[in-house]
Amino acid sequence: MLTLPVFEWVRPESLDAVLRELAERPGECLLVAGGTDAVPNLKHRLHEPKRVVSLEGVAELREVREDDAGLHLGARVTLTELTRLPALQRDFAAVARAASMVASPQIRNMGTLGGNLCLDTRCTYYNQTYFWREALGFCLKKDGVICHVVPQGRRCVAAHSSDVAPALIAYGAQVEIAGPDGRRWVACDQFFVGDGIHNNILKADELVTQVLLPAAARGQRGAYRKLRPRNAIDFPMLSIAVVVRGDAARIDTARLVVSALGAKPRVLGGLDALVAGRQADETTFAAVAASAHKQCRPLTNVPYDDDWRHAMVPVLVTRALRDAFADGAA
Amino acid sequence: MDTRQKLVCRLRVNGDVRECATTPHTTLLEALRYGLALTGSKQGCDKGDCGACTVLVDGDPVLACITLALACESRDVRTVEGMADGARAHPLQDAFDVTGGAQCGFCTPGMLMSAWALLERNRNPTRDEIAHALSGNLCRCTGYTKILDAVELAARDLRERDGGSRPS
Amino acid sequence: MSKPRAPRAAGARPKPATGPARAGMTIPEGRQMPDASRLTPPAHEAGRTGPPNGDAFHTIGKRNRKVEGLAKVTGRAVFADDLTLPRMLHAKLLRSIHAHARILAIDASQALAMPGVHAVVTGRDLPEYFGIIPWTQDEQALCESKARYVGDAIAAVAADSELIAEEALRLIKVSYEVLPAITSIEEALAHPENQVNEKASEGNLSKHVHLEFGPVDELLEASDEVVEAEYWYEGSTHAPIEPHCCVAEYDATGFLTVWSSTQVVHYLHRDLAKVLGLPTQRIRVIQPVVGGAFGGKSEPFSLEFCAAKLSMLTGRPVKILYTREEVFYAHRGRHPMLLHYRTGIRRDGSLTGTDARIAIDGGAYSSFGLVTTYYSGQLLTAPYAMPAYRFDSTRVFTNKPCCGPKRGHGSVQPRFAFECQLDKLAERIGMDPIAVRRKNFIGENTRTVNGLRVTSNGFLECLDAVERASDWKRRWRNLPYGRGLGVAGSMYISGTNYCIYPNEMPQSAVQLKLDRSGRATVFCGISDIGQGADSVLAYIVCEELGLDLRDVRVVAADTDLTPVDLGSYSSRETFMCGNACLDAARQLREQIASTLAERWGVPKGELVLANGMAVAASDPHKYAMTVKDAIQAAEAAHGTLGSVGWYQSPKLGGDYRGGTIGASPAYSFTAHVAEVDCDPETGEVTVKKIWVAHDCGRALSPVAVEGQMEGSAYMGFGEALFETHTFKPATAAHGPGIHHGPSLLDYRMPTSLDTPELESIIIESVDPEGPYGAKEAGEGPLHPSVPAIANAIHDALGVRCDRLPFSPPAVLALLQGSDARGAWERARLGHAGAGARG
Repeated sequence: MLTLPVFEWVRPESLDAVLRELAERPGECLLVAGGTDAVPNLKHRLHEPKRVVSLEGVAELREVREDDAGLHLGARVTLTELTRLPALQRDFAAVARAASMVASPQIRNMGTLGGNLCLDTRCTYYNQTYFWREALGFCLKKDGVICHVVPQGRRCVAAHSSDVAPALIAYGAQVEIAGPDGRRWVACDQFFVGDGIHNNILKADELVTQVLLPAAARGQRGAYRKLRPRNAIDFPMLSIAVVVRGDAARIDTARLVVSALGAKPRVLGGLDALVAGRQADETTFAAVAASAHKQCRPLTNVPYDDDWRHAMVPVLVTRALRDAFADGAA
Repeated sequence: MDTRQKLVCRLRVNGDVRECATTPHTTLLEALRYGLALTGSKQGCDKGDCGACTVLVDGDPVLACITLALACESRDVRTVEGMADGARAHPLQDAFDVTGGAQCGFCTPGMLMSAWALLERNRNPTRDEIAHALSGNLCRCTGYTKILDAVELAARDLRERDGGSRPS
Repeated sequence: MSKPRAPRAAGARPKPATGPARAGMTIPEGRQMPDASRLTPPAHEAGRTGPPNGDAFHTIGKRNRKVEGLAKVTGRAVFADDLTLPRMLHAKLLRSIHAHARILAIDASQALAMPGVHAVVTGRDLPEYFGIIPWTQDEQALCESKARYVGDAIAAVAADSELIAEEALRLIKVSYEVLPAITSIEEALAHPENQVNEKASEGNLSKHVHLEFGPVDELLEASDEVVEAEYWYEGSTHAPIEPHCCVAEYDATGFLTVWSSTQVVHYLHRDLAKVLGLPTQRIRVIQPVVGGAFGGKSEPFSLEFCAAKLSMLTGRPVKILYTREEVFYAHRGRHPMLLHYRTGIRRDGSLTGTDARIAIDGGAYSSFGLVTTYYSGQLLTAPYAMPAYRFDSTRVFTNKPCCGPKRGHGSVQPRFAFECQLDKLAERIGMDPIAVRRKNFIGENTRTVNGLRVTSNGFLECLDAVERASDWKRRWRNLPYGRGLGVAGSMYISGTNYCIYPNEMPQSAVQLKLDRSGRATVFCGISDIGQGADSVLAYIVCEELGLDLRDVRVVAADTDLTPVDLGSYSSRETFMCGNACLDAARQLREQIASTLAERWGVPKGELVLANGMAVAASDPHKYAMTVKDAIQAAEAAHGTLGSVGWYQSPKLGGDYRGGTIGASPAYSFTAHVAEVDCDPETGEVTVKKIWVAHDCGRALSPVAVEGQMEGSAYMGFGEALFETHTFKPATAAHGPGIHHGPSLLDYRMPTSLDTPELESIIIESVDPEGPYGAKEAGEGPLHPSVPAIANAIHDALGVRCDRLPFSPPAVLALLQGSDARGAWERARLGHAGAGARG
């Protein structure tokens, strides 16, 4: 069996205790919630922490709360729990849909909102065993100096592969981060950075505690489309989240997020000029699709034909827009 | 199992409280198979891709090969060894046997765990719901046909045992 | 010793082959064969195909449980990795990071010095060559001088735990001299100077076969239509859910026991003796319950030799469990093949001739490659009469994991190409593709153009069944754009006629013990790998002796306890072990029947043993006792009860070199119709349903037969659309031969949500030589999956998928690269026109 490396293990019972662990051992800890990303990565020797800090014991991270600000989702709420939350299904359907399309039932039972948000970026040259990577000569992201996706590239372009993140960004979700200096909120799209080695703004002594889906976004039309080779288990080869304000007769604004490209989800630019004040019809959809095709360029980081994935960008965008305006879509 | 940094892990498995020596880097699957000799749960892919190691933790199917044993302390773990009622096979086990749902039998324990969790939630699943519930369990022998048949048969059996009184 | 000849010549004698097999590694002339008297099965009053007790079967053909079924569903079944022995060590293999490299030196001193490490072995400790085919022994347990693919095993470490062994591997220093690597068929042929495997007779040639039957060029010339096309069949792997695992224990008396997840206990036994230098009588090989194999465990692998050697060195039991990644390197999967076909047809639908050129990517070693190369041509000559046929197949060595026998060994690829050819030919002449297949039906009790004897043949019934079930006549060529139906047929062997190594001993044997307890025990070397082989033996004993299924134990696949069976490959177990078991059981039935006939004064033919009772049919109320009492009566009359049965196939095959390869005592036949729903915007193909009709002779266990049909159709479907065992091309930054993704995440076998509905329709032709008339079911039903889907995609979209896999990018490229819509419309018009003409 593929072994795990040697590490220490602690299970703090409070958020403060977690933060203390992180502060006392800067750079030596790996936070583990569901473990569905961290444990395979440990087996691949992609992470080599001195200490694994389990978030099992922190009850606060499991809270779900609805108030005037919107829907608060604790970072340790599982993906399965998300799919069963009536408030999420009703008001933020694309997030529920995205959560329901992560991997497999078992992984959704284990995996958490925070874990999916902080999912390590993925690459065909990275998510492999130590032996395989040694045969490759390693890569920029771990143990090596070269990028096999972009020759001569100096920045890691491993793919952001979270399903829920694009949907959260499309609704304008906020992410709460706790650290030694207290807590702060950032917009979900500002949470990510374009560096495949570490693609979010979390510092070594910080963690995500909750996500807020804003009340203002309730009732907007949302959709999530995921391209994957199989209908289960697989990570996205391409994912599209779209949230639209307005109705079929007149769109006010739209937000469209494309992911499984590079290190961060891409929020499509110039969308308002294409949709604001227009009807939700095939002409409008085609304009958005063409713009997405121009703006998004899949890479060979994801183990599936990149040209085809590029060709699928407008197809998926169009279908996501149709979904958003289909009867029954919220 | 490695000899370094041994810890005693107390697990509640199939209703029994069991203690076994573990390390922080021992997975639940290793603890069950090699620590407690509960070898019914299988290891097929090393890292959460195939579902052969599926067990129930607090009633939900999870992948034991990517679950740390220590993370399961004080939680309720169920394995294929805990399905039968004494010497009497669980209706799902019986159905898998009768329909030919188990060929080589290697994916079977994990498949049973996913099916068990489904039928505990839903006594009358559609074939599509069954396929979704089992979509994280790879089978290489059957083409899934007889596995789906088995779960349908077991659901029917369980509904009859419930006497129709239990809401589906 | 004379060359084998067919015992009965039915139909035309084959023309002798022109162009002898040459180059590569060849079979020596003249296989040893036993005397003809040994090949004649014992005569039975009931015959081989009928029920032995009364007018009907009591166990055979019923939907019985499997003998090990409840053990499997309760988690009690013991697989190799479930074994833990006292003081057991764990070993890991060091593998090559280069596709092709000379090993200059290995320094394991640091690893050996590590606490918890007990022994290290390298190629020098196990220098003896081995190989499943006696004429192509080109492998070592650990590479001694050269590594031939990324993942080739170089050293092994035994330690207290897997983790320590793994850490120790990293301390072993290997000095390599990197050599130019060969990663494709083209490179292998173009660069013979870069020799992958020095055991090859020349360059990178593993095997070349050229066989020709009938006037191929003449008949092709005289055809009304000739279709010429090139097909690419991508490699794929078995991926059983259980990874390879073994435990070896060498004891103080010098006796070695090996438990291994193998499907060829006997061949493993022989090769262990050869490589370890131990006599076979000091080795015991035991097959625990095996978690799937599909051909992937049909040879010895590095782990068995290494675990055994490490146990011999340390005096402790040693376990090796491959990681999933290592299973991909062990491979022996489907050979990638480039197939070039020219096939001719007359306007009336009769086939004229076929000319095939086939290039085969073998990977680094021979494995079964000699046989693969023959199979790539030899198994295409039924179920259709092929008046003239030529094939020229070349297998080459490349610096990749070794290919071998995956379910439908060697013949799935040509079958794909040929069934697509048939579809194209049918379209050319405006004929329904099912009608074309019927038109060319070879018939039963006949011979193929290459000299294979065909006995029972239910192919027409298979075609009828899938045509009816799929509502073909109404729906083919009539579904809306994007949806389609496709058909394909095939045949497959029920065991190969000859043992892999020449000998005069039985291919399968059973010893049967029966005593006053009323319990029977079957001892047989049979390898159950999930298909239900053990259960078949139990069903046969129950049928013969009237016992309850729970009162029969099958002791299988243990070289100390069971007589030799050659193993679970080439779909041979039911036919060969089944026959052996039938003979053994019938001898005991005879003893019981004669005892009771004498006691009751009734004719022996009246005796019926069924449902736990022994009765005389003329007066079952007067003459009745329990089977248990009957057994006791027989034991009193005859002494201790026990019997032996064995099977050896009749001399079969064409009278030319290689003419025995493909010869089988019986052939199964299959037809599929696949229905697809395609997305022309994305190229995604969804297979909605596959109807599978399979002639397995008599279905001894319908549940098991259906299971094989469904599992086969599923596996073919996976190859058609999803699965590829491929490697990253070398770049400036990394070397060649690195696997694309050796995991069950990146190797995408279909899930329950991807797999189509599968409908099995069993066709029972009742073979005169099979046990109760049974033939194979395990591999044949895979073959038509792939071409049926390809042909359905053509019906749906008007494109021809001649290259695997039919992935969305590939299908979309086909749609964009041609006038597909026009082709789709023309196909419909052609069909309508043909209908009008008809």
